[in-house]
Amino acid sequence: MDPFMEHDCTFEEGRTPSGNFGNLNVYEIPESEVPGVCVTLHRDCGLPIKTITAMDTGAAVHRFRILYVFGVPRQNRFIVLSADTRDNGTFPSITPSIHEASVYERKIMTFFGLRPEHHPHPRRTVLHENWPENLFPLRRDVPWNTRPGNASVPYRFNEVEGEGIYEIPVGPVHAGIIEPGHFRFSAGGEEIIMLEPRLGYTHKGTEKLFEVPAAGDEIGEKVRLSERVSGDTSYSHSLAFCQAVESLADLELPGRAAYLRVIYSELERLANHIGDIGALMTDAGFGFGGSSGSRLREVVMQWNNRLTSSRFLRGVNTPGGVTRDMTPGLEASFLKFLGDLRLDFSEVIEVAEGRSSLLNRLRGTGVLDRQIAQDHGVVGVAAKASGIRSDARVDYPYAAYGRLNPEIATEQDGDVYARFTIRVKEVYSSIDLISRALRDMPGGDIQHGKAIKLKKNYYAAGITEGWRGNIVYFVATDQNGKISRVDICDPSFLNWTVLGYAARGNVVPDFPLINKSFNLSYSGNDL
Amino acid sequence: MEGSGHIVLSILAGILQIVMLPLMAPLVTGIIRKIKALLQNREGASVLQPYRDIGKLFRKDEVINPDASWVFRFTPYLLFSTTVVAGISVPLITTIRIFGFTGDFLTLVYTLALGVFFLALAGMDTGSSFGGFGSSREMTVAALSEGGIVFSILTLAIAARTTNLSSIAAAVELLPLPSLIPVILAFSGFLIAMLAETGRFPFDNPATHLELTMIHEAMILEYSGRKLALIEWASSIRLVLFISLGVNLFFPWGLASSVTFPLLAVSTVLYLFKVLLFCFLIAGIETGMAKLRFFRLPDLLFTSFILSAIAIGLMV
Repeated sequence: MDPFMEHDCTFEEGRTPSGNFGNLNVYEIPESEVPGVCVTLHRDCGLPIKTITAMDTGAAVHRFRILYVFGVPRQNRFIVLSADTRDNGTFPSITPSIHEASVYERKIMTFFGLRPEHHPHPRRTVLHENWPENLFPLRRDVPWNTRPGNASVPYRFNEVEGEGIYEIPVGPVHAGIIEPGHFRFSAGGEEIIMLEPRLGYTHKGTEKLFEVPAAGDEIGEKVRLSERVSGDTSYSHSLAFCQAVESLADLELPGRAAYLRVIYSELERLANHIGDIGALMTDAGFGFGGSSGSRLREVVMQWNNRLTSSRFLRGVNTPGGVTRDMTPGLEASFLKFLGDLRLDFSEVIEVAEGRSSLLNRLRGTGVLDRQIAQDHGVVGVAAKASGIRSDARVDYPYAAYGRLNPEIATEQDGDVYARFTIRVKEVYSSIDLISRALRDMPGGDIQHGKAIKLKKNYYAAGITEGWRGNIVYFVATDQNGKISRVDICDPSFLNWTVLGYAARGNVVPDFPLINKSFNLSYSGNDL
Repeated sequence: MEGSGHIVLSILAGILQIVMLPLMAPLVTGIIRKIKALLQNREGASVLQPYRDIGKLFRKDEVINPDASWVFRFTPYLLFSTTVVAGISVPLITTIRIFGFTGDFLTLVYTLALGVFFLALAGMDTGSSFGGFGSSREMTVAALSEGGIVFSILTLAIAARTTNLSSIAAAVELLPLPSLIPVILAFSGFLIAMLAETGRFPFDNPATHLELTMIHEAMILEYSGRKLALIEWASSIRLVLFISLGVNLFFPWGLASSVTFPLLAVSTVLYLFKVLLFCFLIAGIETGMAKLRFFRLPDLLFTSFILSAIAIGLMV
């Protein structure tokens, strides 16, 4: 059943879009109508918010536009609301009625200096104390290559008071080789009363860098930049960006390239999921499972390297196709490898499922309530483990997914074990998808070959299902056909908001396990 | 001639008794790691790696938190010396008491507890939050495991009617077959408590990098250089000390009952073999099961206590 059709949605009746940009229907509305229309689209029509972002559209004076991008599942179409901000730099917050909008609005506030009016908790995100208060990096007049002066903007952690409550500050430097992030626990004994993650340590100004004109192969440079937004998701990030560029330049994707993209996407998912399954077992102290996970992940990474000369599948995506083909000689041994991997992996999982001590650690730990997940717009593995069935491969079919029709796994319990199980199921379905893609793949070109010329004053969205969840790129061009704004929404950006809820009530020593079961990206969040 | 030979052998046995545990301890740690690696389809580091690690730490500079008091500076030396002194009491290859003043098991348990007590103080001394909760957890576990250790050895002490470890070993060797049931029960209790005492699975993970899950490692997180080397060394001595107690009190067969060269040689080989078997046991447990949740640890330690209590009941 199509979820969109279940709802009584009359928004588009009697309205004509102010502009149609490929699969984007843009409606310009006055800012005062925004909260009402958003509630209609989100609640009455059941359309998920894919991103909310802003653009600096003025040349000499600042003029800002806020864009609300709603996805229409199964139709591979997006409804975009576009509203200009008031002259005093404020815009109406929709957070009081749609909670998941909160992080987007805070991001707009931080990077554009626009104030969301009636936002219940408006505070800066990502940027740290030493970033000046009145410098908003995504504004046009802020140069990308100058270092801001020193500043000291206070940051206050939420505090819990009570007898015996103490705080544990952890990070940003950790004992393992992982990304930096600070976690502030308020604990009563060993029980976590509250957890506040503080991120932003890997902020690199990625979105600003996308706006900087590059010499030479401009689009190629930006594809490479997108591969580095979150290193472990290089392929899905660059794929989302390439898809946006393809609709900006009207590029058709050759049939063979569509299937190859499925194969590479699923290889990325395989490597990461297997690595995570192993890491979860390591963190629970089950050494055999942990070392098996790293061993199998390494085998997949080595195949990535054999197929594309890159362990992280970098340099493979290009607008209008892929750069690496599957040769018939490799295909046979690749298929054999998939069979071996499936067998090997199923044996490891069989051992793991038979260990009551391991299952006891995973079950009931770090439960993410379904309602909380829905209210925060959680995506990907975490959403599926809490019973929310959303997956860009089915909802916005890209590459050859529409033809392969992948099966989407869901679990109901929302605990660490559910997220573990979602990954196990997705490993099997990825192996299956790759095998089917290899079987169905037509011959022919793998690249479009046409020169890339972007349309002027245009919008485009690219969406993929990375191994963590939905990756959304929203790209706009200016009157010269140059990229003027790229908004990136990594799944971690939304999922970080619920980590504190999942950890609450658990004991402090279980937090690393809960954190690993989400395994969110710091780089993808901090941008 | 025979008399002087006896004296030479006695002195030799005495020296062995003092240096054997400290010298072989890192090797035992290395062997357990190697077996674990092999069981997990990994190559693993050489069994000599713990020696290299300790050697490396001795040569390194140390950083001491300026807020640290004398407790922090003093603890590694105290911990190391109490562990070595406690080790002298454990019957390793013979049931003959070599030093007159050693060998009472209560003294042994509480000499070790003194080191742990100071380690817990040192953990809190620097004021880091990790040290604080490391100490709090260590004390939670130690308070419960102490009973397990004392009661399991008490089973044997009641059977032997002495609290001297060497005499216990000699007496257990002569116990009739039916008495072995309580001995096995007490050993199960001892095994659980000793895994807790030495910071092994399923209580603590000596190999983890996750600060928040640590118990022992969290306490010593602030140590570096020479002091860390002493603590690491003391930890491995502590492990082999408990292993030796386990194999020689509960399974004392083969311990030399007099100081003669052939008996000592046989008992040394047998002892090393028993320790190796124990290493396999620990590595098997650490590979085959996950770590327990922190709040389930008291249940397991209570089980250890009950097992020993039943054993005592059977013995009396």
